[in-house]
Amino acid sequence: MEQVLATTLRSAAPLVLVAMAGVFAFRAGIFHLGLEGLMISGAFTTVAIGDATGSVELGILAAIGVCMTLSAVYWWVIGPLGANVIIAGLGLTSIGLGGTAFALGAIFDIRGSMFTDVVLPRPVRGATSGPGVIISEHSILVWITPLIVLVAWIVLRRSRFGLRLAAVGEYPFAARSAGVNPSIVRLQALLISGALCALGGAELSVGALRNFTENMTNGRGFIAFVAVIFGAWHPIGAALAGLFFGFADAIGIQSQINITERVPREFVLMIPFVLTIFAVWLGGLWRRRTLEAEAGYAELREPDY
Amino acid sequence: MTGGLQRVASTVLLVVVSFMLTALILWVSGYRVGTVLSGIIQGSITATGAATSTIRWTIPLLLIGLGVVIGFRAGFFNIGGQGQFYVGACSALVVSLGWREGPVPLVIMCGMIAAILAGMAWSLLPGYLRVQFGTDEVLTTLMMSFIGALVLQYLTAGPLRNPSGTGQTAASERIPEAFRITDSSGVSVTALLLVGGVAVLVWLLLERTRFGLTMTLVGRNPTMARWQGIDVRRVGLGTFALSGALSGLAGAVELHGPGARLVTGFSPEVGFTAVVVALVGMLSVWGTVVAAVFFGGLQSAILFLPIVTDLPPPALVLLHGMVAFLVTIKFRAVRRRRAGLAAKPVVG
Repeated sequence: MEQVLATTLRSAAPLVLVAMAGVFAFRAGIFHLGLEGLMISGAFTTVAIGDATGSVELGILAAIGVCMTLSAVYWWVIGPLGANVIIAGLGLTSIGLGGTAFALGAIFDIRGSMFTDVVLPRPVRGATSGPGVIISEHSILVWITPLIVLVAWIVLRRSRFGLRLAAVGEYPFAARSAGVNPSIVRLQALLISGALCALGGAELSVGALRNFTENMTNGRGFIAFVAVIFGAWHPIGAALAGLFFGFADAIGIQSQINITERVPREFVLMIPFVLTIFAVWLGGLWRRRTLEAEAGYAELREPDY
Repeated sequence: MTGGLQRVASTVLLVVVSFMLTALILWVSGYRVGTVLSGIIQGSITATGAATSTIRWTIPLLLIGLGVVIGFRAGFFNIGGQGQFYVGACSALVVSLGWREGPVPLVIMCGMIAAILAGMAWSLLPGYLRVQFGTDEVLTTLMMSFIGALVLQYLTAGPLRNPSGTGQTAASERIPEAFRITDSSGVSVTALLLVGGVAVLVWLLLERTRFGLTMTLVGRNPTMARWQGIDVRRVGLGTFALSGALSGLAGAVELHGPGARLVTGFSPEVGFTAVVVALVGMLSVWGTVVAAVFFGGLQSAILFLPIVTDLPPPALVLLHGMVAFLVTIKFRAVRRRRAGLAAKPVVG
């Protein structure tokens, strides 16, 4: 049981970090399907630069830089250039997945996995039995994640920027009349989002593991997006949803060992997707509004002026 | 007509830009772009069997891509082609393995019908939620797509697993040779007639029937369509059903054609590439045919490329991503004129 809880925390941390990224984008009215691509770019850059410099901090900084740059390009394409948010987001995901796998082969001449010696520090370690296992062997990013969630919540709820973000996401015309430039606010939100995706990717590659593997995010970026919807685009809600999906993942891993006879692993893995369909459906019912009206991409669909 | 020409020009330009950016990345990474380019031409057209292989990869892209066209035309953003393709292939497999002794044409027919129904079901659930409750279909079709991939994984690793299989990836048993409509090259007269027929039917439906016109109207302006007395719900359901049916059929053609068995996660990119194909084809039937051949050729070339250069195959995923990333960009002149079709169906 302790083992399941420990695995839950380890699986949930990258999901929660990327879900925070999704919350910022969603609040700005952007249906961000590029999270997966940013996450894997972050994972790859951390390993590549971390391994080259021998410093995990430099690796993470570089990852944040790469992901923020990609986010800025994404903003430029969907904002000023008027590309479709969803298609460009899916394109960004493919660029990330294809680009990292390509770079792995082209730069390091490796197919599959690249192992590294750099790893994030793990503050608490050594417990082998009892409740200590739950908190042992987690990277520093797992410990910081709750803090990031809290900060995200405060920023969105209490800061001027959070208010502007909400205005831009819900009703850009009003934001514009209040003297806020929605386009700039959206860029800021996407930059924050990119940095958070980098952290999520880094946790995946040098936090929980010590390698980068082609396609290692394995849909986690999409699950994180799902956590955003499931958590009603509230940071705490999204974090709890991320935690729950981490738990489902942990059960899935355990069921491979224990209960495969009764519940095939694939069905456990379906849980987040099935729940999301329900959540989106019920969410629409309760609000008597469509998600579309809520997430809007309101201005991104209006004629330009 | 100027608008149409402008649109073609801008799409072609954006595709060219995507290719040049990808070529730039290859060049920076130290690959000889010229070698890669000649490899692509050999691998898609001139090398032995290359043209056949191009057509083999065109078939699923075209079928799923036409499904995407139907969805996007009516303003419904069905991006779950991959899952519909998988459940279609699974259903056809169940029919073939469950009825080994059946008369050949009948089993193939039943397999295709089962695949069509499965694809329809996979698409109609999000479709029903969309027209009935306004549930966002981007998310639900995407989720159904992941679920479809897990269904395939479950079937190939569990109930339908080939017990004598030794490979690392789980695979099902092979269907009897008689039930295949092509050999492993994936091209035969039957398959071509089938796919060509489907393309013509879709064209007739979209351009020559009342239903096709209604769909386009709903896509351009649902509110106006409703005022004109169009039953938007019915059109929506029909659209989702047709679009899922085509993806499901693509799965059956894959199984009865080149595949003959199912492997976990086969053709993982085809659903997304089909969306790219439909967009590059500017949501027109013949445009989609051209785009499908083009991307089919690239798919075929990437399998050939290892012979001439050591380019890692994920470069193709990168290229597809680049095209998708840029292809919906609207230039100002085009944007102003075509605020309708270009913006609406795509945003849904």
